[in-house]
Amino acid sequence: MIKQTEALILGIMCLILTIGICVQIKTVNISGTTTNSNKELNNLKTQVLKMKEKCDEIYEKIDVSQKELEKIRKNVTSNDEALKVLEEKINNYNILSGFTDVKGQGVRITLTDAVMTNTLRNLYKDKDLIIHDRDLFLIVNELKISGAEAIEINGQRILENTAISCDGNVVAINGEKVSSPFIINAIGFPERLASINGADGYLRELEEYGIKTTFNVENEIIISKYIRGNKFKYARAIK
Amino acid sequence: MILVAIIIGCVLGAVIGINLPIISYTYSTYLAIAIIAALDSVFGGITGVLKGEFDFKVFISGFFCNAILSMLLTYLGTKLNVDIYLAAIVVFVGRMFLNLTIIRKYYIDKWSKKFEEMKKK
Repeated sequence: MIKQTEALILGIMCLILTIGICVQIKTVNISGTTTNSNKELNNLKTQVLKMKEKCDEIYEKIDVSQKELEKIRKNVTSNDEALKVLEEKINNYNILSGFTDVKGQGVRITLTDAVMTNTLRNLYKDKDLIIHDRDLFLIVNELKISGAEAIEINGQRILENTAISCDGNVVAINGEKVSSPFIINAIGFPERLASINGADGYLRELEEYGIKTTFNVENEIIISKYIRGNKFKYARAIK
Repeated sequence: MILVAIIIGCVLGAVIGINLPIISYTYSTYLAIAIIAALDSVFGGITGVLKGEFDFKVFISGFFCNAILSMLLTYLGTKLNVDIYLAAIVVFVGRMFLNLTIIRKYYIDKWSKKFEEMKKK
């Protein structure tokens, strides 16, 4: 009799145990284990890091070879007047195409997303209180109207084929993600560029929505180069 | 008798378990720790039966107390960001091995005695 109850209880325990094990195995099979997803995550991380390292190496190589190119060019042109004119032309085109770092007098604009306060929330929608790709686009356009010769946003040079696009909750420039605070550097005649900071400039409009803006005139602004593939696939010169 | 009960229980449990719906992945950690606790209790129970000191009140209360305490520890661990459930697993698995040793010794003794008796005949 006692043996029977013992056996019964053990049997019930085993029943519960196997039910639990079966359910757990099914759950894990469908969801995947944490150790598996961790492994995949680590793999992806190392891959990204490796790619970045490779990218940096290649950029360094480009830098070195460009310096070499300049040296060779200087050596060749130092003796010939006609070639000196050509070298000047090359330098000009390099600035124009964004292949070299440039410096000069200009302005620095910083834009920071609005701090969400209740008063602002009551007045505007949340999406009005952050800086969008459209805002940057309008500012760049206005700077260009004011005769800016070189513009960069958060280290991304604005070239003639640079796209400023919305990328989720950040903005993509040259395919790189940038986010608030935005630092916009522009080289040009400061008094003309200041029109954006004027009474009806675009910065006033942004400030209405609580976005913090600063505007500084600088004597020397350095804008870094942007190297991209320089092959035209479809455009051909007409001779 | 006990062996039969265990096998029947396992088979029935497997059949029922396969037909049950899956649980949320968040709670699977808790189920896992409860399974380890149950496994420990079952081993403890078998040992108790073999020793002849099996008390089903102690057995059942141990089963539920261990499972609930280990689940609570796991929950505490997630709140404190410490894997406390590892401690529970170490204790349970350690006890399982101890119980397994006792079960093994019991059957070895039993069979060696039978073997000697057969030799005498």
